[in-house]
Amino acid sequence: MIKITELQKYYRTEEVETIALNKLSIEVKEGEFVAIMGPSGCGKSTLLNILGLLDDPDGGSYLFNSIEVAAFNERKRADLRKHNIGFVFQSFNLIDELTVFENVELPLIYTGVPSSERVTRVEKVLDKMQIMHRRNHYPQQLSGGQQQRVAVARAVVNNPKLILADEPTGNLDSSNGNEVMELLTDLNEQGTTIIMVTHSEHDARYSHRIIRLLDGQTVMENIMI
Amino acid sequence: MIKNYFKIAVRNLLKNKGFSLINIIGLAVGMTACFLIFIYVKFELSYDTFHEKADQIYRLNVDIKSSNNVMKLGISSAPMGPAIKADFPEVLESTRLFPTGFLIKSNDRLFQENSACFAEPSLFKMFTLPFLKGDAATALKNPFSIVLNQTTAKKYFGSANPIGKVLLVDGKHPSTVTGVVKDIPVNSQLKFDILYSISSLDAMYKGRLDQWGNFGNSTYLLLAKGTNARQLQAKFPAFLKRHISEADRKLGLDYDLFIESLKEAYMDKRQSNSENGNIVNIYVFSAIALFILLIAAINFINLTTARAAERAKEVGIRKVVGAARSQLTIQFLGESVILCLVSFIVAMVLAALLLPSFNQLAGKLVSQNIFTHGYIFAILPVSLLIGLAAGAYPALTLSGFKPVMVLKGKFSTSAKGTLLREGLVIFQFTISIILIVGTLVVYNQLNYMRSQPLGFEKNQLLTLDFGGDENVIKSCESIKNEFRSVPNILSVSASSGSPGNGNANAHSEIENRQGTMQPLNLNMYDVDYDFIPAYKMNVIAGRSFSTSYPTDSTKAIVVNEATVKALGYVSPKDIIGKNFSQWGREGKIIGVVKDFHYHSLAQEVEPLNFRINIANAGMFTLKIAAHDIPATIASIARKWKVLIPQRPFNYAFVDDSFNKQYSSEERFGTLFFYFAVLAIFISCLGLLGLASYSTIQRTREIGIRKVLGAGIFGIANMLSKEFLKLVMIATIIAFPLAWLGMNKWMQDFAYKAGIQWWVFVIAAMLALIIAVATVSFQALKAALANPVKSLRSE
Repeated sequence: MIKITELQKYYRTEEVETIALNKLSIEVKEGEFVAIMGPSGCGKSTLLNILGLLDDPDGGSYLFNSIEVAAFNERKRADLRKHNIGFVFQSFNLIDELTVFENVELPLIYTGVPSSERVTRVEKVLDKMQIMHRRNHYPQQLSGGQQQRVAVARAVVNNPKLILADEPTGNLDSSNGNEVMELLTDLNEQGTTIIMVTHSEHDARYSHRIIRLLDGQTVMENIMI
Repeated sequence: MIKNYFKIAVRNLLKNKGFSLINIIGLAVGMTACFLIFIYVKFELSYDTFHEKADQIYRLNVDIKSSNNVMKLGISSAPMGPAIKADFPEVLESTRLFPTGFLIKSNDRLFQENSACFAEPSLFKMFTLPFLKGDAATALKNPFSIVLNQTTAKKYFGSANPIGKVLLVDGKHPSTVTGVVKDIPVNSQLKFDILYSISSLDAMYKGRLDQWGNFGNSTYLLLAKGTNARQLQAKFPAFLKRHISEADRKLGLDYDLFIESLKEAYMDKRQSNSENGNIVNIYVFSAIALFILLIAAINFINLTTARAAERAKEVGIRKVVGAARSQLTIQFLGESVILCLVSFIVAMVLAALLLPSFNQLAGKLVSQNIFTHGYIFAILPVSLLIGLAAGAYPALTLSGFKPVMVLKGKFSTSAKGTLLREGLVIFQFTISIILIVGTLVVYNQLNYMRSQPLGFEKNQLLTLDFGGDENVIKSCESIKNEFRSVPNILSVSASSGSPGNGNANAHSEIENRQGTMQPLNLNMYDVDYDFIPAYKMNVIAGRSFSTSYPTDSTKAIVVNEATVKALGYVSPKDIIGKNFSQWGREGKIIGVVKDFHYHSLAQEVEPLNFRINIANAGMFTLKIAAHDIPATIASIARKWKVLIPQRPFNYAFVDDSFNKQYSSEERFGTLFFYFAVLAIFISCLGLLGLASYSTIQRTREIGIRKVLGAGIFGIANMLSKEFLKLVMIATIIAFPLAWLGMNKWMQDFAYKAGIQWWVFVIAAMLALIIAVATVSFQALKAALANPVKSLRSE
């Protein structure tokens, strides 16, 4: 599903050039659950952002479903993103002015799903995430775990093929964290490809494969059994 | 999707109440000012457009050239109109209006009517003046026929039918009401309550209609469609040659004829019988309105971009879940449009509430009800446009955020954005300071004109208008003596006019320094022997009129210093004894008075003369004691009732009527003042918003500084400084611009107060003080906050 070859990314300031990704090559197959680990500054988040088409690489190739997307313009990237990729962030990133329902509804609005269908789909996914009773609450009124469940609901409401999770349990206590990991595992079992950046060995154990990065390069790959 | 945008827009506006309020108030006030000025400008430009043939009607103007000046008149002489119509086939119609005043007696009640005209039947063929009663074709045909407007008809006859009723004009001409016309709209140069047939004028003053050299009436021409006015005008010199008699030519009268459209005539400043507009004021106020709106729009741009950090997260999330940039742009534009719509509604309410005061300020009934104008709906799209224009920059900036950056919290307001905001604040304050300087300069000039010595004693001088009543003139001396017997009356004199109230203009010839008779235009007052002493005018050469010299009443004039100069004499005493010839009188100059202001100080003192001629008198001037003025006036009124029962008692103070000449400058000053207040108010609203966001952004820095020992004033000072710097830059930019603009404005005044240095000092101080007050409130609040709190919030 994803194949990156010799991917490069630099960050430049006036004096320093930092290499975030150094000719990195990775392949992820459809239905896989991959965890990316490594120390701070090793390039995991950069990688995730490029995979999620939120950022563009400075070199190398990125094939998404065999299509070269590295040079896509913003409109094309937005289009590909909204139909194929769901995001889950450490800090949930819900819109404070919208209710739980409206937050989850948002991706459907941008993909042009008609209103009546939106209601059923959002309700279904809220039900699945066991957050239906909070549908009219605002994010500030929810606990961290509940907020992350809303975020996951929002990530999956469009039935994306790929979910990118950036330390999804980073802001949660262990029991809430486990719940979220169970949710991701469920989704993966239903066929969704998941790539997750994490610092937690515990969370990484939910995945099929761990890619360890250091200084923008793969240093080790562990296959989980 | 629209619903979602709307929802989030409304929630955002409600969540940030302070921000929304600043924007809505600013925009609403800006729109209100703009809307009212728009109504005013539209009103001014609508003068006489309601006449169906408005674009074919032209006014005849005359430039009279003489050795000392060119008199630009919007009036002409009686025979010109008919002669032009007879000579030029492209002139379909001509009509003349002779402004006058009448004493009307109706059912034993007396009315002094000063808005009256002698008019001819062609008036109704050219101008749209709908008849309510009577026949337009015949109403003004016969001598002593009267057409009333609706209000006057009602005043005289109530609901009874006025047609055929008889009114007594000036106590001796029974005249028949032959028509009633609808009241003429306010936006017309033609203003009259009563029209009197022109044949009556002919009957009352034989030969008046044949005088080519007597300029007193307006002439309007109706040109055939498609006539080139310039080409017609080019034929006038030959026309004049054909018609001006040898006698007139001998007089040395030299003049040119021009025509101008009704619209041009309204905006023309030349001396005429009708109300004038001022195109410069229209430009100035339109520009000010636009600037005020711009200042309000800038607040919106500044506050929205300043808040960008707060909205950045939302942008990031929306992009991540699939929003395209265009969708976000639309969303943000939608927010500004909603804000503008709310402001628009507030503005309409404000405008409706302010309309009566605005009419008062404008000095005329510009509009009775804003909602009756269809164009209120035309303003709506304009305000939406403002929303789009003001929202465009923030929308494009916000929608361009990279989600990776903002979601990682790496977002910071760019230096470019800050620079733009600072530039816009400087712009706002530049405009505000220019307006403050403008207001101060206008008021200073007004004050200067009011306080200058006029060259005569203007206090406690009371004028009583008797409208040139023959019976009064006949017994003038005895009436004067009767008034003198009233306690507290110090002197009484009779004259054709008083300073500041207009005067006649006489084509005259006076012996100049070279010994030749030089033709010149002289302003003139017909006076009695008591006039010059009563006004305490300063005789600097020769003497004033005296009954000891019998020839003074027919063969003598007193001139002013300006006449002396115009004729080339070095010293006033040199002109004494020189010959003059004026309106059939010939004789010697017996005295020179020091120049005094008989027109507004906007005008140079021009050559003028006095002559003894009670027959032309129209008013008395009474010098009264400074104490018990109301009682004195009451005694005068009682005396009037006994002496002149046929005339209503109308009095005015000379200083009041003199200052009335400045009413248009006063209005200009007042409007300037209000606009300056608005501009500075809206600018400060913006500053308040920016200051509060800037302090919020620096909360952590303030906390750290306080922990490290910074004092409250040090912090307040640090926060205020950056804004004050902007105001100071604005001051530096504003000063030369304001100086240039006001210097140009000042050119219109013959006597200038000049632009004083302290005007700039006051303007700068005012702007700074207001800005300091605005900013320091926020700064102090931030400085006083508990640092633990601000650091914890990190």
